[in-house]
Amino acid sequence: MFLQPLDLTTALRPTLLPDEALLFVQDAVGLYEGKYKIPGLQNGHAYLTTHRACYVDNLEPRKSSIAVELKSVDRYEFYAGFLKSSPKITLHPKAPKRASVQSRSHSTIPIPQRAAQSPSRSSTASPVHRGASPFSSTRSGSSTSRLSTATWVCTICSFSNPVPANFDPATANSNTPLPACVTCGVKPSFPHVLKASIANAAGRQGSHSQSQASVQPLLESHGQYSENSSIEYIEAQWREETALPAKSRFQCPRCTFLNHPSLLACELCGAPLLSTESKAANVLGESIGRPESPGPSLDIASLGVDNDTECVKFSFRVGGEKIFHERLKGAMVQRKWLLQNAPPVPDSSPGNIGSTAIGIDGQVRQPPGKARTVGIAGLERQGLELRKKNEAVIGSAFEDLDALMVSAKEVVALAESFAKKSDEGSADANQLIAESAKALDMVTTKDMLGSSAGSESLYLSEMSRNLAEYLTDDAKGILRKEGGIMSLVDLWAMFNRARGGVELISPMEFGKAARLWEKLRLPVRLRQFRNGLLVVQQADRTDDKTIAQLLSLLQELYTSSAHTEVERVHKAFGRGITAQEAAQRFGWSVGVANEELEMAEERGALCREEGIEGLRFWENWIVDDQSDGSDDDIKVDPFYEVDPVMKNLEDMGIF
Amino acid sequence: MAPAQPRTAESFTYPQSYSFPPFFTLQPNLQTRLSQLRKWSRLIQRYCRHRHVFKLSLVAALDTPLFKNAELRKRLSVNDALQVVDWMTRDEGGRRAEWIDGGVEAKGGTTWVYWKRPEEWAEVIVGWVEDTGQKNTVLTLYELMNGEMTVGQGIVPREKRSKSNAHGMLDFHGMDAELFHRSLAVLVKRGKAQVFGSEDQQGVKFF
Repeated sequence: MFLQPLDLTTALRPTLLPDEALLFVQDAVGLYEGKYKIPGLQNGHAYLTTHRACYVDNLEPRKSSIAVELKSVDRYEFYAGFLKSSPKITLHPKAPKRASVQSRSHSTIPIPQRAAQSPSRSSTASPVHRGASPFSSTRSGSSTSRLSTATWVCTICSFSNPVPANFDPATANSNTPLPACVTCGVKPSFPHVLKASIANAAGRQGSHSQSQASVQPLLESHGQYSENSSIEYIEAQWREETALPAKSRFQCPRCTFLNHPSLLACELCGAPLLSTESKAANVLGESIGRPESPGPSLDIASLGVDNDTECVKFSFRVGGEKIFHERLKGAMVQRKWLLQNAPPVPDSSPGNIGSTAIGIDGQVRQPPGKARTVGIAGLERQGLELRKKNEAVIGSAFEDLDALMVSAKEVVALAESFAKKSDEGSADANQLIAESAKALDMVTTKDMLGSSAGSESLYLSEMSRNLAEYLTDDAKGILRKEGGIMSLVDLWAMFNRARGGVELISPMEFGKAARLWEKLRLPVRLRQFRNGLLVVQQADRTDDKTIAQLLSLLQELYTSSAHTEVERVHKAFGRGITAQEAAQRFGWSVGVANEELEMAEERGALCREEGIEGLRFWENWIVDDQSDGSDDDIKVDPFYEVDPVMKNLEDMGIF
Repeated sequence: MAPAQPRTAESFTYPQSYSFPPFFTLQPNLQTRLSQLRKWSRLIQRYCRHRHVFKLSLVAALDTPLFKNAELRKRLSVNDALQVVDWMTRDEGGRRAEWIDGGVEAKGGTTWVYWKRPEEWAEVIVGWVEDTGQKNTVLTLYELMNGEMTVGQGIVPREKRSKSNAHGMLDFHGMDAELFHRSLAVLVKRGKAQVFGSEDQQGVKFF
């Protein structure tokens, strides 16, 4: 299966495999399967790692998150986007060998890998193939509402009239009312309009299949043809069209002038290029109801006809596609996933071939065919060889490491010098810095994110997740070591230290990221104490829990036998604790302990005793009014000569 | 005016809170603080009643067992004691105390401790007058306060002690003269008594 389920970390990011590194993150990404949007996977984050391209949904991250393993990606394509159609990156799965039926030569977007792949690609874009998919059956119903910019040329005055939006070639017949020509007012004949609309649809497909991804919205808008009787006609028309020599130009649907792809309207006749249709397609794409989700569960077999039509598109709604594409290109070239199954380090010394080697599992393997020496001498020799081998392996490993460190430093220095030189921060330098940071295995860096408008917030949210992961990582157990609570400043220092002195985070950004935890529903939370101290806690850790914890400690001291001079006091009230004691006991920092104790005091659970030896906190026995007994006529209740309410009213002149 | 001797054999029993160290630190939490002030007020009033003291000098009292727990080596600080008494003088504290000239500003100022307010004393006096059938007779203030006939008038026999006066010490014998005047003034105002005579030869007639 091409789409894999995805494991997420506590911070709702993809769990990385060993050796896997995160390359790029982009938010506001939607997913297409083939040319259809996958419902429920339309708003999420795209994570590109060295091994996978992942989609993590914003709303239902645990349920609808999927990954595409890059090793099963045959090729990928880039579509720059057009008007309302978002830029897309298409990943095609590796497929069983299939003879390419049609061979067309229309290559436009200069992607290096693309040229070699183009012949086999054609079939995937064909609407006819798609027509066999389970989606198509539901499409014809809604087809009448389609907008169309097809035009028919008036036979009288040769003016290009638009075909009415509700004109559906599949259902229209000669009784369908047709509008008259806008300029001369002569009604067209039905076959004329029908021909024009069909020709337009087919022609559009042909002219635009040059940039394959752009066909997608069009296909949706013309999906109604897939089941009607004119399929053969369209097919014929379409092949005819595509056979025309087309360069990296955008053919006007009306006058066939080859426009520059970035133009919105035809340079020659002024016909809108794609605009209304892509708009309509986008809108309709959302509203088309599908009986069943064609999500990851829709496996290859169910498509029946073409196993490899199941290509996956990442649609980048707020940009970031260029960097994603660049990084994807890099990842596909590097093929880091191959390292997973990489053979052990080859023997460096030539004479050692076939000698004892240590497997990954640490077992000593005796090569076959080697003359065995038995007895003590044999054991000794075996041991000697083993040591030699290990030495060689370790030696070479450290050599590599040193080399790596040296070059890493150089790369970083180079990147920094570049950054200094380019005052405006040219793209090249940024790229290089990103590369170097990547080489040092940084996690979330600014360069990992695009330069689109939302990149700042994306950076912060990614950092926020990153932090949450760092905090809740069981292996490190940072929060646990700190007693479940630590000050934000401590965390900032620790986190930056963990980054190894590169790509440090500014305190402001750190603070912003920390404040996002709650919004992103991450398992940690930021809490502000009364004096402004910001601390980091696990989200499920509430004040009540802390108070219960403190009270149980006091209870413990209360019950534990006291042998001190003030034993009598202990018997009645237990013992007070200082902030230091609490800090020691719970592993908090003293500042945090102080704040927690004061919080408990404020809640009325504790009370304080100021003494020579400092501040101690006791269980609050003071609030209990009954403990001193009220068996006499001593009065401590408020005394009012005048009802205070009346007095206030009088003061205000009301009464 | 020397404080009267403790008049019962029973020694004063301190409340439980007295041996609770935080009791000697004024609490910042408002609710806890209110409870604490109420407890202190109760303690001070009980203590003064036990000693038959009507005025308290804070400076002098700070080193008495009232504010100082020798066992715990804890003492209420001057400021805290001032705040406690100040609270007692206010409406929230039931006006169970009143500063004598100066108020809080005069540090270590003396204060009335009203374990019975003048109005309450007036009731006690009226009760005694009625019980002893002395209505419409003229009594001197001196004999009321120091005369033999009022000795022990407030001691209620143990079996007759009700819930309201369980301690059995309601007498105004040996009462502070000024407070006694105030109490009588309450009665005069109500028309239940008439005070006449010169400064040191005052008499009172109850109606």
